[in-house]
Amino acid sequence: MLVVAVSLNFALPRLMPGSPLALIAGVEVGEMTAEERAAVTADAGLDRPLVVQYLSYWKSILTLDFGYSFRQGTPIEELVLDRVPWTLLLTLTALVVSGVIGIALGAFAAWRRGGKWDVSSLAVMIALESTPQFWLGMLFIALFSVSLGWLPSFGATTAGADLTGLAWLADVAEHAVLPVLTLSILSIPAVYLSMRYSTLSVLGEDYIRTAQAKGLRPRTVMLHHVVRTALLPVTTVLALRLGWAFGGTVVIETVFSYPGLGRLMYDAVSARDYPVMQATFLVFTIAVLLANLLADSLYPRLDPRVRV
Amino acid sequence: MFHRRISRAGAPVAALVAVLALGACGSGDGGGGGGGAEDAGPAGGASTAESLRIGIMSEEGNLTPHTYATGFPGLNLTMLSYDSLMQVDENGQPQPWLAETVEGSADGLTYTLSLADGVSWHDGEPLTAEDVVFSVDYYKAGPPGRFATAMGNVTQAVAQDESTVVLTLATPDPSFEIRVLADVPVLAEHIWSGIADPDVAPFDESTNVGSGPYRLVESDPGVSYSFEANPEYFRGEPKVDELVVVQFADEAGATAALRSGEIDTMMRSISPEQIDVLRGTGTLDVVEAPEYTTTLLVFNTAVAPFDQAEFRRAVGLAVDRQRLVDDVFLGAAVVGNAGWVHPDSPWYDESVETVHDPEQAAGLLDDLGLTDSDSDGIRELDGAPLSFELLVASNNALRMRLAELIGEQLGEVGIGVEVSSVEMQTLDDAVWPGYDVTQGRNYDLAMWGWSAASQADIGQMASLVATDPALGNLNVTGYSDPETDALAAQLDTELDPAAREGVADQLQQRIAEEAPFVSLLHPNGAYGYNPSVFGDWVSITGTGPMTKLSFIPDDGQP
Repeated sequence: MLVVAVSLNFALPRLMPGSPLALIAGVEVGEMTAEERAAVTADAGLDRPLVVQYLSYWKSILTLDFGYSFRQGTPIEELVLDRVPWTLLLTLTALVVSGVIGIALGAFAAWRRGGKWDVSSLAVMIALESTPQFWLGMLFIALFSVSLGWLPSFGATTAGADLTGLAWLADVAEHAVLPVLTLSILSIPAVYLSMRYSTLSVLGEDYIRTAQAKGLRPRTVMLHHVVRTALLPVTTVLALRLGWAFGGTVVIETVFSYPGLGRLMYDAVSARDYPVMQATFLVFTIAVLLANLLADSLYPRLDPRVRV
Repeated sequence: MFHRRISRAGAPVAALVAVLALGACGSGDGGGGGGGAEDAGPAGGASTAESLRIGIMSEEGNLTPHTYATGFPGLNLTMLSYDSLMQVDENGQPQPWLAETVEGSADGLTYTLSLADGVSWHDGEPLTAEDVVFSVDYYKAGPPGRFATAMGNVTQAVAQDESTVVLTLATPDPSFEIRVLADVPVLAEHIWSGIADPDVAPFDESTNVGSGPYRLVESDPGVSYSFEANPEYFRGEPKVDELVVVQFADEAGATAALRSGEIDTMMRSISPEQIDVLRGTGTLDVVEAPEYTTTLLVFNTAVAPFDQAEFRRAVGLAVDRQRLVDDVFLGAAVVGNAGWVHPDSPWYDESVETVHDPEQAAGLLDDLGLTDSDSDGIRELDGAPLSFELLVASNNALRMRLAELIGEQLGEVGIGVEVSSVEMQTLDDAVWPGYDVTQGRNYDLAMWGWSAASQADIGQMASLVATDPALGNLNVTGYSDPETDALAAQLDTELDPAAREGVADQLQQRIAEEAPFVSLLHPNGAYGYNPSVFGDWVSITGTGPMTKLSFIPDDGQP
């Protein structure tokens, strides 16, 4: 699985039309003689047979030495490691926020199944689920940054501000509000829908009827018997979203010019920066695979019924 | 002793999202330019500032002469920290700069430069003739690139004394001053002699030493840069103390930040409909002026009937350029000239007429035997419909609209056009594979454009039309005509300014006649800014206000 995914990461950039030549050589590529062009290509190792490039790609993965970005002349590990914390800050915060809200709303909706609250929240969630990320992000920028001037519209910190300590933390938090808000709001529906469905199916179980028959208060039944069980499948949803957390922020990071991994990938793809494309694809691949692994191994621990 | 002019391609290049592209380069690059004070939009505001925050939209890497990424704004930012021997002035003409005097020999093979007094590097070391000699040798020995190419014609650099350098050329180059002297940054020998691999030079205390008005003090590629003014600058203390450059992913983000007051200006020409919007805010203004950046309709002259000049001319006649300017650019563009040269250029030949005449176009097509025999509105060529695919970069909304309008206009004279929007890289690959015209081309019709530098140096006109790929290195239409070739070769070598002007005029007339491409229009540069922070812009004709000239005091201007 991993081998196939990693190989695809190598192939995809090269299958795309366009060449990184202009990127490596600079914009004066049209001014160069054929020899100069060849020298540039050779320098970047792009004249080697694909098999050789492929092998050296594996070598770079196994040794964790990804080489230099065509564009920036910077070691790629540095580029990636610089970006990872910012992406994690956005996605983990959004995961927690959307998880808590989605679970609460989903459980409540199922409890009041068919009621006014259930129907209206379901409609809102379905509408939200089909809302494009960039649209909501731009709406927030127009509202909270341009019109109201409350929050910064871009970046992870204030450029050139040289803040330290608490002031820096406050700055980071302020910059994270809009992207996290956008990301959270748009992640709620998935959690909500899965929680609502799973709560509904638990509510139909015999032991719930037993609990109700014992004369327990509905609230107690709900919290102690229903929600705990209903959470199980939702954990899987959340674990899988954790994997997507690395890749799912491309749009948000672009809209908010946020220096995370998604932005790095987006810029690398636009410029055909092969090494950076490979490295970011690899990070996403591994994150998704790990998340799957996590979900698979977590579930039996939480739910002994599925243990073999 | 010939005249200063012009530089080969390069400079302000485009780029939307993309770093790439001397070629298909996207929307408004280059600069909005000063094309004459009478054209310049209202510009003004604070003439000094403590700090100016500038938005950019492309990833730039480390800002050294060896590692910057794009021509515009990358090189313009890099040149804040560096200087060249000459510097173009507001009119786009090279003037003495680090070199106080520049003397060319009569045969055009030797240049004697004497350096200005009292110029020092950011670390306090004096800038000497040895640094200039070192720079020449270092670029020549280093990896290929803009400056290595520029130095290709310099065979020898000798320091006669502390402040005098003599450069020897292999062949005379009438554009040497603008193309090389006013372009190549001088490097500090005591810094760069220790750097063996300039391509991966990191940002640190040693690589950020230049002689320019600003010193780069913080570099976080992909995120932001900080420049501090160099109070000892030899042309006077810069007008703004600190420049903070912030990178955005797209224009929408930067425009929002400009409107919310988070940045003060941006190094990207805004789209035409934004001009009035920004001015309408009451707090922002726009510095607007014609620029040399070109927008072209190019065709593959190997594909029949584009191999016939009459047919190409008919296409040019069928296109209503003024309507394109009015409808798509809301008037914020200058109509392209059939002879290629921008009307604001000193080289512009007024006798070249640009006409819109669909009837004449239809007549030319009839004469070529291209008639509509099945009355479906589209003419036929050897029985097959006269229909072509028009490629346009999908990241450029304005060009997509242009393409649609052009499709309609050509349809009116019976030429079928199907617009295909493709990714910019894909377009580059079709029109200019490998950025090397000898690799051929794989398209019928395409929307294309060259940077402002393609007009700033009149010598560049030859590279668009010459058959020989060494001279015609930008000839993406594969056009070939002996008479044009003769004129192009002359333009490339004629040292006498008056004679060269005559050649340039003749070549413009020839281009208008032969129509190797259709020059549609030149989008005006339009840069939003906050006048209460800073607004004392200095525009260079055709290339705009986003250069270091805007930050150099009046008495220090070239």
